[in-house]
Amino acid sequence: MTLGLALEALLGVLQGAAVFALAPLFTGVMRKVKARTQKRVGASVLQPYYDLLKLVKKDEVVSENASWVFRAAPWVVCVSTLTAALFVPVFLPFSPLSVAGDVLVVLGLFALARFFTMLAGIDAGSPFGGIGTSREMMFSSLVEPGIFLTVFVVSLTLGGTNLTSLIEASARSGAALVPSMIFGLIAFLLIVMAETGRIPFDNPATHLELTMVHEAMLLEFSGRSLALMEWAQSTKQLVLFGLLVNIFVPLGMPDSPDAGLLALGAGAVAVLLKVGALAAGVAFIETRVAKWRVFRLIDLLSLAVASGMVAMVFHYL
Amino acid sequence: MVLSDGYSALYLAAAALYLLGALLPLFLRENRAAGSFVVPAAASLLVVATAIPMILTGSVFRFSSPLSVPSQAVEFAFYADGISAFFMLIIGLVGFAVSVYSLGYAQGYSGKQSVRVLALLFNMFLLSMLLVTAADDVFSFLVFWELMSLASFFLVVYEHEKPSNLRTGVTYVVMTHVGTALITAAFLLLYFQTGSLSFDVFRASSATLGPVARDSVFVLALAGFGTKAGLVPMHTWLPKAHPSAPSSVSALMSGVMLKVAIYGLALVTLRFVVPHAPADAWMGLLLVGAGATSALVGVLYAAVDSDIKRALAYSSVENVGIIVVSLGLSVVFMSYGLSTLAALALLASMYHCLNHAVFKSLLFMAAGAVVSSTGTTDMNRMGGLAKRMPWTSLLFLVGAVAIAGLPPLNGFVSEWLALQALLSSYRVPSVPVQLLIGFSSIVFALTIGLALATFVKLFGVSFLARPRSPEAEAAVEAPKSMLAGMGVAGALCVLLGVLPYLAASTIASSFGFDIKLVSSYSPFGPLMVGYTAAGASSVSDLSMSTVVVVAACVAAALFGFVYVAGSGRKTVVRPYSTWEGGFGQLGVRTEYTASSVSQPLRTAFKWFLGPRTEVRREYYSGSNPLLKRSVRVVSGTREVFEDYLYVPVVGGAVFVMDKVRRIQTGKVNSYLLYIMIVMAFFLMLAALQP
Repeated sequence: MTLGLALEALLGVLQGAAVFALAPLFTGVMRKVKARTQKRVGASVLQPYYDLLKLVKKDEVVSENASWVFRAAPWVVCVSTLTAALFVPVFLPFSPLSVAGDVLVVLGLFALARFFTMLAGIDAGSPFGGIGTSREMMFSSLVEPGIFLTVFVVSLTLGGTNLTSLIEASARSGAALVPSMIFGLIAFLLIVMAETGRIPFDNPATHLELTMVHEAMLLEFSGRSLALMEWAQSTKQLVLFGLLVNIFVPLGMPDSPDAGLLALGAGAVAVLLKVGALAAGVAFIETRVAKWRVFRLIDLLSLAVASGMVAMVFHYL
Repeated sequence: MVLSDGYSALYLAAAALYLLGALLPLFLRENRAAGSFVVPAAASLLVVATAIPMILTGSVFRFSSPLSVPSQAVEFAFYADGISAFFMLIIGLVGFAVSVYSLGYAQGYSGKQSVRVLALLFNMFLLSMLLVTAADDVFSFLVFWELMSLASFFLVVYEHEKPSNLRTGVTYVVMTHVGTALITAAFLLLYFQTGSLSFDVFRASSATLGPVARDSVFVLALAGFGTKAGLVPMHTWLPKAHPSAPSSVSALMSGVMLKVAIYGLALVTLRFVVPHAPADAWMGLLLVGAGATSALVGVLYAAVDSDIKRALAYSSVENVGIIVVSLGLSVVFMSYGLSTLAALALLASMYHCLNHAVFKSLLFMAAGAVVSSTGTTDMNRMGGLAKRMPWTSLLFLVGAVAIAGLPPLNGFVSEWLALQALLSSYRVPSVPVQLLIGFSSIVFALTIGLALATFVKLFGVSFLARPRSPEAEAAVEAPKSMLAGMGVAGALCVLLGVLPYLAASTIASSFGFDIKLVSSYSPFGPLMVGYTAAGASSVSDLSMSTVVVVAACVAAALFGFVYVAGSGRKTVVRPYSTWEGGFGQLGVRTEYTASSVSQPLRTAFKWFLGPRTEVRREYYSGSNPLLKRSVRVVSGTREVFEDYLYVPVVGGAVFVMDKVRRIQTGKVNSYLLYIMIVMAFFLMLAALQP
């Protein structure tokens, strides 16, 4: 290994910081793409940053019904999401924390964040929060088999659940055009759309519509708490996009940390471009598809599970 | 192996203390009797003090106590090795927490029910479970098993003035004896094969069992112990017994008694039957299938039930399913000679046993605190308790996070291990087996997802938002002793989660794994999963303490950032009413309830749950539709196993018995006729003999 341990750790921390820092940018890019495809000018791509900085400085209004769980939830959600982000190699082919936790830890931390988001939805006693939580309960439990099947297929194909070795293996093999990975990609794409609350699963731009899921749970938050929740959501989105491109489309990613700083930098730029393209693609889909009825989404999630199953069968046969 | 008499002395001392704890309250006045729970608490600590050094030093003990039955050399034989000690540890840990909790909880019965009887039965229950784990022959095992069943039966019907509890008790006692009958049959088969009643002989002669007998022993044991453990479809007693029983007893039954059943299953499978050839893989697959079914069915009912204790009981069915899935994986790996993976799966199974014992007893204790404070088990009538019972709610939240399998608590660690075992199934050299395990992993993942939703509902609806009834409005915090008991279990949840090395190495040494699944250098070290005995080429690692430290650093950094970024002006947190769309303050009736929050899930799984809603109208006079006395909407779900399995079977049995009853005419003449017919039949038989 040509990189020193200290340099590797430093790069890991920088990667984490870059994920936190760039997450709102991709939210901005997606909004811009969406606006343009709808023939609007749209806000600047930096608007999410202005929002965050503004929200942090604002007073908070907290429901009288809410308990300490509501106050603690934004911190738990944000900290667990950011911690999960540190375990994922997004811009670099490695994360120094892979020795302490794997993809299951990342999914577990995301689930912890979701658990507290759902509790906060109930806590204010508003029917909006309740509706969001009850729908999220259904989605989150139906998404789980799809996620696990994708993990199953990916770890069968690339070996293990350690994210660093997964992504290195993926980078070594190039874009693996095997049937199991293709069906795995279909499943994972659907899951990423569901997890990040994009149309057709959920409408991130809605407020006060009976179709909202994630926004309904966030309705009672304001000020600093809202900033934390929004930031956590953006970070989760970037992490999932990063995982998707690094596992399924590893073009340009160096296959080990000792490829030299230049190659690592080029890989990071490649990831930035690919994630940007993916974000633009997802935003484009959003303008072409309507939000689906809640109970029809079960079919879409079943499709994710089904393609995961097909992928597994292909792998074994 | 070291044979030490010291441990048997400690063990006997603990048993004697439980006996003292049973008898002492009979000499106390009723209002003082609750204080006698210090005795089982001390006894449980003694059990822990026996079990831990036994496991760490790899000691065993053996003794027997002859019973003077004339002409028959009957004796109670005891033998405890690492496996027994591990289950004793579970009994001790949970027993201690629940005994401390009972100091306060039993006060609540003072003046209504006899606390002395509760203390007597409570101690007998713990004692019988302690004895079962060290029983070393069929006779003593069955005697102690029966003692355990009876003690728990009387505890289930402890609140006997409610007629529904008595019905529940009958269900429980019938089911548990069906289970005992099956276990007895399994042991009798082993007796016919080996000619002995001693477990030592069973252990030694696993290789010489006939193939049919071996398979039958396994199936009978699975059905018998499965009934006690609550495997689907023999689980129906569980969701009935728990809402009836006092909450301390629910904690013990769910936390410990189910584990004693798992002990029996593990003992028969791993020690008497001993799968070792690829032909035995079906046993593992059967376990995986039974476990996955239980897990999914249990969690589906838990997700839609609105009775807090029944939902927790269904969640026990789910968790037993998870334990049995891992046990089955271990058997599959053992059959194919993959000893490292077999150890990994067994570690997952036993880790989850320990975890479930801890967090389910915590949840039942917290639910008990809520039930005694609000007087209802219906979550639709709770709400707002997080403000009124802050410590109870915090502890329930700890239990909920743990049982939902979220980091950094203990449920995550065992589910991580189980998922690693599932992911390793590709090393089994058989495609059908790989695919079967792969498909059951889907069920497993769905279960984990539904468990998260279930505990969002359980905690969110009971503790958050506004109170939905005057009882919930008037709820007060539980007494300190109850909080202390819950606190012990809560601390264990954190400890077993953040320092998984401690529990993993304890389990590894109690089951005698000779492989390195855990790093050996420090209690903070990671768990490692590798496919070779050396553990050198680990494919995945988990260091929860690192995760916690990283999360703490992130929290500090985030706090610092928010502090700096928001330093422009001082922000104020202003309490105000919930936004209600401009309609003015909404009533509590508009809040989401347990039934409404689980409605999407009920719809998503309607093919299984069969939700039905019935409108019942009552009229003042006949059928005049204008004058309604009341309109009630009753909604519920289908009890699949009750409706399609138990009702037909019981109905069929009753039908046959009705027909058989016709020969009981009550006339002496006809009885004489029957005797004549039977005698003629036997004479004919004798005449036909060559």
